[in-house]
Amino acid sequence: MTDTETDVPDPTLESTIEETSAVVEDVIENVETVIVGHHEEIEHMVTALLGRGHVLLEDVPGVGKTMLARAVAESFDGSFKRVQFTPDLLPSDVTGVNIYNQKTQEFEFRPGPIFANVVLGDEINRAPPKTQSALLEAMEEEQVTVDGETHTIPQPFTVIATQNTVEGDRAYDLPMAEVDRFLKKLHLGYPDADEETEMLARVVGNHPIERLEPVASLADLQHARDVAASVTVAEHIRLYATELAAYTRENAQLGVSPRGTISLLRAAQGRALLDGRDYVIPDDIQTEARPVLTHRIRTATDRTPGDVLEDALASVEVR
Amino acid sequence: MSVRRDEATSAFERVRARAASFGSVRPTRVLALLAGVGLLGAVLSVLYGIVQVDGDPRALFLLAGASVLAATAFARTVRVVVAVGVATVLLSVGMVLYVLSLPHDPQVVAMLESNLKLLAGQSILEIKRSEVWALSVAPTPLFVTWYLSVRGWYSTAALVGGGTLGYFVLTGDATLVQTLLGVVSVAALIGFGDLDRGGASLSAAEPVAVVLAVMVVTPLLISVTPAGSASPLALGGGGGTTVEASIVETDSEVELVGSISLSPEVRYTVTASESQYWRTSSFDRYTGEGWVRTGESVPLDERPLSSPPGETRRLEQTFEAEAPIQTMPAAWRPVDVSGGAADTAQVTSLGGLEPAEQLEPGDSYRVTSAVPDVTAESLAAAGSDDPEAIREQFTQLPESAPERVAGLTANITADASNRYETVRTIEQYLETNKEYSLDVDRPEGNVADAFLFEMEAGYCTYYATTMVTMLRTQGIPARLTVGYVPGEQVDDNRYVVRGFDSHAWVEVYFPGQGWVPFDPTPAAPREQAERSRLDEARAQNETNVDTNETAIQPNPGETPLPEGDPAASAESTATPAQPANISGVAGGDVGAIQGRPGEFEDQEGGSSPLPSRERLALGAVVLAGAVAGLRRSGLADRAYRSVWLRHVRRSDPLTDIEAAFDRLLYLLERRHRPRREGETVRQYLADIGADPRARRLAELRERAYYGGVATREMADEAVSLLEELREA
Repeated sequence: MTDTETDVPDPTLESTIEETSAVVEDVIENVETVIVGHHEEIEHMVTALLGRGHVLLEDVPGVGKTMLARAVAESFDGSFKRVQFTPDLLPSDVTGVNIYNQKTQEFEFRPGPIFANVVLGDEINRAPPKTQSALLEAMEEEQVTVDGETHTIPQPFTVIATQNTVEGDRAYDLPMAEVDRFLKKLHLGYPDADEETEMLARVVGNHPIERLEPVASLADLQHARDVAASVTVAEHIRLYATELAAYTRENAQLGVSPRGTISLLRAAQGRALLDGRDYVIPDDIQTEARPVLTHRIRTATDRTPGDVLEDALASVEVR
Repeated sequence: MSVRRDEATSAFERVRARAASFGSVRPTRVLALLAGVGLLGAVLSVLYGIVQVDGDPRALFLLAGASVLAATAFARTVRVVVAVGVATVLLSVGMVLYVLSLPHDPQVVAMLESNLKLLAGQSILEIKRSEVWALSVAPTPLFVTWYLSVRGWYSTAALVGGGTLGYFVLTGDATLVQTLLGVVSVAALIGFGDLDRGGASLSAAEPVAVVLAVMVVTPLLISVTPAGSASPLALGGGGGTTVEASIVETDSEVELVGSISLSPEVRYTVTASESQYWRTSSFDRYTGEGWVRTGESVPLDERPLSSPPGETRRLEQTFEAEAPIQTMPAAWRPVDVSGGAADTAQVTSLGGLEPAEQLEPGDSYRVTSAVPDVTAESLAAAGSDDPEAIREQFTQLPESAPERVAGLTANITADASNRYETVRTIEQYLETNKEYSLDVDRPEGNVADAFLFEMEAGYCTYYATTMVTMLRTQGIPARLTVGYVPGEQVDDNRYVVRGFDSHAWVEVYFPGQGWVPFDPTPAAPREQAERSRLDEARAQNETNVDTNETAIQPNPGETPLPEGDPAASAESTATPAQPANISGVAGGDVGAIQGRPGEFEDQEGGSSPLPSRERLALGAVVLAGAVAGLRRSGLADRAYRSVWLRHVRRSDPLTDIEAAFDRLLYLLERRHRPRREGETVRQYLADIGADPRARRLAELRERAYYGGVATREMADEAVSLLEELREA
């Protein structure tokens, strides 16, 4: 892929879009060899990656959160690390530690699992807040500070975290401020009967995940992100996003933050790219708004954040 | 749930709602209260019409203002029961005051009877001291109507105000325009009031506005149409009404109308030893716009006929009806009636005769009159010492009579040394200074003033009305009298009287002599008009124009009386008049008194008066309704849209594509449904199953609008796609 790209002397944006879109389609197809159903969620995962965001998967145990995260991560040829969050996990278990090297007589930094292109944080809500915040700081800053020394995390960098909803009081729910740092929060839900049957057929014997090969390079991913960032966002679209956010702020206890609006536009750019367009249309915004915005809204009444968002989508005039 | 709705209100709407609620008065309430004001205005203007005839309108306005102020104050503080109590007390006190003001105590039964007559169409102006009556009654309906309106009981307010106006409609005192204003106000009060109570928005009031406009326009159309198509019987003068219909056939009122025509039909034949003005009735009360006779007619035995003071000579007359008629002409002053139709004779309050029921052709009666034997000398010597009752009743003038009439009259008569000279001077002034014409536009406001200062020409009613007004400004008792001129003499003592012989003249009171007739209308042009009408009728073989006697004598003599100066020769002053039919024969002439085209035509000449306040108000209603109707029907919008849809003015590609897309949305909106807020174009097109060409156009627009890429080729494609879709 990298080779072909250098062959093209001066690709117009449109052809770049087409090529990038093809790569992204490849990734999705690859993931779907492992994951049965959940096409929309896979697309959402991919547009989040294109939008340079991190994803939080939340659902009951056993519906394939980790499998989805692994499948997406392993479709790229970059480094992939997995951290199982437990109540006794320490921040340094995530970020890494300085170790005294007997040979060189110096402390040297041994990077933790956060130093990878794709980090899977499993059951993130089981870890104590201090450890959670170490992860979230790394997500936001894309760097880690240990003993006063700052270490930059290699690019591209994406965290896919999962979170169980049935842990009850043994879990440390993520504070709103930290949930806000995830570009998207996705729910998988149970597969329907056909899908489950199909899934069973696939996983009996060797699990397909073991045979999964990368279909795109890190450079492809980085390039795709750059292309996505260049997707045109017209003024009408910016206005529309702003008005959606304003609606949630007026009609809920806590509305969508400006970071949420930025995230929405980035996700929409990814969606436009996936669709082979070099400009964002309101449909992109509407499709991305649900997973991007819902977890940023808190209501005081019996209305759920989802209700508020649906109202916003139904009543804010499409520009 | 209400929380949710509030949340759903966009910021813009909330700002607007706040602006609307500023001052905490809803627009629908403002409209309802305006309708209430319109209703009050209608009632008040009727009351003004009654009071201004003989009283001080300022008192009425003071009372009305006080009532409205009190009602406004009461509405905020006092409960309905108390307010109704107050209103009842007001009415009772008013009625007691009115009864106390009457010269003698009336019987309760008589009062009830007279009230029934009022409801049957007798004008309030015909009751005694009508101005006091109006002032006594006025506060109650005004107070109650306004109190209820402010209180928010719009329907009840409409009931009270509308009921009051309805009473005046039944008595015939409300004019067409006043009635219309009142009815429209009632409808508006109920309509807007209902919306207000339901908390509806202003846009919901649009249908009400349309209905009101229709209410105003419809009666105008209906009343204009028949008059405009001028039924074939309305011949001659071109107007809808005959002289006869306007003056002689009326019961106890004379309404002054505009252009008028002449009826050549024979009404009756008279056998009498001398020719006289055949008089049918007199009128004492001048309203500025017409004449009313106060008091009631009673059978002969209740009010015996009496002869006038001074010297008289007896004159026997026999009248035979030739057509159905409802008047009993007689030479002044009838002292005895006998013969076939005499049983039905009644005596008016002014000493005239009238039949209780219609006379049929062939009915006849015999009248003995005591004709005043007056000479110029006796009249000049009569002095001016009038009885108080006569002076009070016959020098009344309406508030609308301007000072300049009195000023002009005083100037003209400055040299007159006695009443007789004054009367003669005025009579001659009118005869010489005004042209005789049947073709006139009914002036607005006071007729006498208009005839004197603005009009160049008129016919008998105008002359007579003006002369009475001028005399009254000088304190001389005078009254309007109507009847017939002697008619065509067919034998030594036989006269044939036709419709066009109907006439109006003046009677002036002379102490010691009684009522003496004077005729300010120039005789020659009037007779000429009548004769040419008769010739025309004969040429066209109209029926009922001739009797056996006249047919034998195709070239009859002129009316033998020197009308211009009846008092100079005592013989010339009296002649009985014959009644005319009420409905049948001259139907085309009679029916058009209201709704005359002249009412709606532009006034000719320099003095074009401004439309009245009521008309302005109704005009505003029509305008508002028309605007609301246009908006509602979207006619203007649709007309604009159809042009707009077919014409894309080319400019830069982006604008062109946007224009084509706007038109596409409009097309789809008409063919399917409008796009909802929050619905993207793609969702919309998918939902309505739009044509692929429509999708392509939307895609082009998407690229131009969101992608910022718009080329000339895209624009051309978009416009041609639109054209294809429009034809599809």
